Amino acid sequence: MSPLPGILKGLATTARTAMRPTHTAEYPDVAPDLPPRSRGVIALLEENCTSCMLCARECPDWCIYIDSHKETVPATTEGGRDRQRNVLDRFAIDFSLCMYCGICIEVCPFDALFWSPQFEYSEVDIRDLIHEKDRLGQWMATVPPPPALDERAAEPGEIAAATKPARGAGLVGGAGTAPGAGATGPGARMPRTVRPRPAGTGTRPPTPREPLTGTPESVPDDTPPAAGPPADGETR
Amino acid sequence: MSVDLPMPRVGPVAEHAPKPIRVVLNWGRRYSLWVFNFGLACCAIEFIATSMGRHDFIRLGVIPFAPGPRQADLMVVSGTVTDKMAPAIRRLYDQMPEPKYVISFGACSNTGGPYWDSYSVTKGVDQLIPVDVYVPGCPPRPEALLQGIIRLQEKIAAERVSGAAIGARQPGRTRDLDQRYAGHRTAAAAEVTRGLVTKP
Repeated sequence: MSPLPGILKGLATTARTAMRPTHTAEYPDVAPDLPPRSRGVIALLEENCTSCMLCARECPDWCIYIDSHKETVPATTEGGRDRQRNVLDRFAIDFSLCMYCGICIEVCPFDALFWSPQFEYSEVDIRDLIHEKDRLGQWMATVPPPPALDERAAEPGEIAAATKPARGAGLVGGAGTAPGAGATGPGARMPRTVRPRPAGTGTRPPTPREPLTGTPESVPDDTPPAAGPPADGETR
Repeated sequence: MSVDLPMPRVGPVAEHAPKPIRVVLNWGRRYSLWVFNFGLACCAIEFIATSMGRHDFIRLGVIPFAPGPRQADLMVVSGTVTDKMAPAIRRLYDQMPEPKYVISFGACSNTGGPYWDSYSVTKGVDQLIPVDVYVPGCPPRPEALLQGIIRLQEKIAAERVSGAAIGARQPGRTRDLDQRYAGHRTAAAAEVTRGLVTKP
């Protein structure tokens, strides 16, 4: 069998490939088209971090370093109790060790860690691959916005909590729940510790929405026993 | 375990060359990096992806057809370096001609990565050989290797190849302990290699 058919076949492949447009990505000149949720680098939103150490404990590589101390916040009222809060001293991720599993981002209960698609941080010295919290904070500028919700999806929890009608807005008057609180003016505050009733049972006009600044501490403590236990857990 | 080769030198002309000559020499070095892939684990797949048509690092002057370490300028260590492999890495690095460069690609060759606590894994290839550029990732994107190569080319453009710098890369040549090993490392291949464990 002569080698000619094989050569012709190879040349046909060559000709076909030569006709095809190139698919080379011109990386240094053209930014790469990264897929969504790319795992490039981990960014830290320092304001959200409570130094709870969950990420450092869950990290399979132990590549997160957290130092913190406690500060005492003096009581704001007379005879009050001093409060303590954690202050973050050091938050560092060793990216020479990190395996980019994202467990720290998953476990963070306060949304302080985010994925950023940036990957251009190779270093000449390996010690520079430990990103301290200022450098981790700089990556926050590169974090993409979260993906859009689906069509007709429920609104996110934060917005739903902010736009929810005030608790006790549709209450039947009585049992000492200050029925006129909503009617006294726009500045009046409804107690947040009252369970809402089903709609339609109240005949009063709807009360204005409660401002978000209302905290359970600032609410007058006139919750009736009939309204159930103080539902602090439900306000969250 | 290191190979005992005569000390490589650069000529006095090259060592004390004026800046225009150095720029030309470095220009030639940075755009003809014959690369030698020390692929040891999954990161080698990303290296291969970088060398193929889509990313194509020949655009940057990195040529992946070196027949062996004796014809290569750049070694890319991509993958988990084990203590068993450590002497081979040191040996092949010693066979490369000067000036030579090393890119450590991926978390495993940077520090051992997820296996840093393993009994058999070298905690970073820079315990064995001096590394010029560390590319982070597990594995890094092909573009990250391209960026590491660009970083290395910037480093080459600024360097002055001298006999002292070459001597510092030789194992056990320098009296000064701080200069003997790369970075903050304190060991060489022969020191991290252990003999066989005796039977119980």
